[in-house]
Amino acid sequence: MSVKTTALTLMAATMLAGAAQAEDKVFVGHLVDYTGPTAFVGKSYGPGVSDALKHINANGGINGTAIEFETVDYAYKVPEAIANYKRWKDKGMVAMQGWGTGDTEALISFVARDEVPVYSASYSAHLTDPTGANPSTKKPAPYNFFYGASYSDSCRALAKWAADDAKTKGIKDPIFLHTGDNHPYPNAPKKACAEYAAELGMTVANPVVVPLKPGDFKAQCLTIKESGAQYVFMGNLGGSVVSLLKSCGTVGVEANYMGNVWAGDYKTVESSEAEKIIFPSSTPFYGQDVAGMKTVEAILKGGSGEAGDKPTHHYIRGICSAYYMKEAMEWAKANGGITGANIKKGMYVKKDWVPAGLEGVCLPSNWSDKDHRGLMTVAINQGSFDNGKVMIERIAESELPRRDDWLGQ
Amino acid sequence: MGHVPNPRPAGDFRTSYIGDNALFKTRFEGKAALGIVLALVIAAPFLSNYVLSQLIVISIYSIAALGLNILVGVTGQISLGHGAFFGFGAFASAWIVNSFGIPALIAIPLAGLLTTAVGMIFGVPAARIKGLYLAIATLASQFILEDFFARAEWFSGGVYGALAERPTFFGFIFDTDLSYFYLVLFWVVASIVAVTNLLRSRDGRALVAVRDHYLSAEIMGVNLTKYRILSFGISSFFAGLAGALFAHYLEFVSVEGFTILLSIQFLAMIIIGGLGSVYGTILGAIFVLLLPQVMEGAATSAAGLFPALETGKAYIKEMSVGAAIILFLIFEPEGLIHRWRVIRASWKLFPFAR
Repeated sequence: MSVKTTALTLMAATMLAGAAQAEDKVFVGHLVDYTGPTAFVGKSYGPGVSDALKHINANGGINGTAIEFETVDYAYKVPEAIANYKRWKDKGMVAMQGWGTGDTEALISFVARDEVPVYSASYSAHLTDPTGANPSTKKPAPYNFFYGASYSDSCRALAKWAADDAKTKGIKDPIFLHTGDNHPYPNAPKKACAEYAAELGMTVANPVVVPLKPGDFKAQCLTIKESGAQYVFMGNLGGSVVSLLKSCGTVGVEANYMGNVWAGDYKTVESSEAEKIIFPSSTPFYGQDVAGMKTVEAILKGGSGEAGDKPTHHYIRGICSAYYMKEAMEWAKANGGITGANIKKGMYVKKDWVPAGLEGVCLPSNWSDKDHRGLMTVAINQGSFDNGKVMIERIAESELPRRDDWLGQ
Repeated sequence: MGHVPNPRPAGDFRTSYIGDNALFKTRFEGKAALGIVLALVIAAPFLSNYVLSQLIVISIYSIAALGLNILVGVTGQISLGHGAFFGFGAFASAWIVNSFGIPALIAIPLAGLLTTAVGMIFGVPAARIKGLYLAIATLASQFILEDFFARAEWFSGGVYGALAERPTFFGFIFDTDLSYFYLVLFWVVASIVAVTNLLRSRDGRALVAVRDHYLSAEIMGVNLTKYRILSFGISSFFAGLAGALFAHYLEFVSVEGFTILLSIQFLAMIIIGGLGSVYGTILGAIFVLLLPQVMEGAATSAAGLFPALETGKAYIKEMSVGAAIILFLIFEPEGLIHRWRVIRASWKLFPFAR
């Protein structure tokens, strides 16, 4: 080879390499609800994900590969979400950070066909059976992941707490009641939780439909009062929960209110002036003294500031969701490239998995190719608004068994 | 709202009823219509996915709005439930495909027929009531159907929605936007031809008579009840057809997509486009669907010039869409099609026109 050709080849090679380096990024779609019915918590969780992705990119990305992402406010409308998904699919999306139950469940078959892992903020148990091993599973969901306990498992933990609480208080015939809109999200744990409550010996009253949009719910509160329920589970979130608590306060319903993970945070407690509202959580609260909180603080500092100075725990779950995806991508990069199928495989590699730098923040989780219930630990908190101050304390923590008949339900 | 001269050249008189009822008023009109369709067919492979998806959505909404225009513009009735009929067609097509295994290409017109039946049932009040009262009666159909979608799990999958696969034709899958555009284009052209033909038939004239003066129409032997309900049926057919096309385009049907806002959007399309006009309907659909996107672009560039506007971008967009519609109704109450006719006449009469 003459000197000239060698030089030319070298030049071409460097140019190619340069081009490859410039192109070294992967695309991730990010769905958020900042203006729809779930915006109350969407404004905490969404920035959690995008701030975390920003932080990851600022610190070298996926071992050198940048994550290019686009945040779209779809206002909790399923058709909008699907249209965006298709647009992103054309852009070569390798993974998606999703949001609601309606859209995530609607996308199950799409993402399975296109091999795009979805990290949803929907913790519907319908997303946890990847192979359809449970005969009751309607649709296997091989490409769906989420960080946290499923809605059904959280509700089961609450039902367990309620049954124990009734025993301590000496309530003879405890009554459990589900409230929530006729919507995929509040419906998700409805059946599973009622079954478990009955299994624990509680009477399950007829569920009460409460709209997801805030309003005057005195009629619903009267129904709850008539049912005599002592343990009321609220499947909704934000403004709807605030309205329900206020309406029922006016009507004078004496009951323990239990929310799901989105229904409880210091902002809800503050605006509803709630008294002893019970809610589960999968992370510590912001500012708690754990090793990984430093990373959370750094992410918040370098972020867009949309979540405020004191984000709720939803923000922290958003960070965890982004970091599990990040580490799965790192494994994928080392094992054949960052593709949807490899990211999925990367989710099964580590046992008792905690993302580096988030020790104590994201709890040890286990995903396997037959079971997408990452986390079975549920912490139960109690929040009260007292003399202008929000008091939240942890009252129980339970580790649920991985029962086969609960998979996907 | 002045008089717009006939576009026919001087000396071109109609000497028979058949000639007077020709599909196209002038030969040029026919050629132009054919030219537009051919241009779309040839240009489609070179268009970007974004433009194609806009064309598909505009076409689908045009079909539905065309149906509403028969009801509102031609027959003089009113419906606030058109969005729900659109949704019924979408769910019906998904249901037919998923439960009976009938191919989607057949299910799409079948869904239109099912929606026709439902539309005629909800159109029955029109036999007795008119105007605002009828508007409220049709509002009921919107809410009844919406609630039905959310609860009838056997039909719509309840609040979880239903999957609607892309149609296949002997192994060919309409899975790209390009192939689906051709399918939608076929249905748009078929719908336009069907409606134009309907309007020059005896039934079409009967519908116009019901609108213009129902008492005279009745005296002349037009069965008012029959034609009012028929009008609801025809309008629902196109709503159902468009809904089915929309379902298989999105591949998923959700109850959230078919609220009263959609019904009002359809009304806006035909009012802005021109009541009773086939081509006006299409102009209206283009206007209503593209205006928000144009305004978004305008607001973004305005925010580029004045950074202070950045935070209010979303408000500017929403407000300007509203303002554009109000201004339109004040200055062009007869719709876009009237403006087009005036422009066309001024070309013809140049230099004697204003």
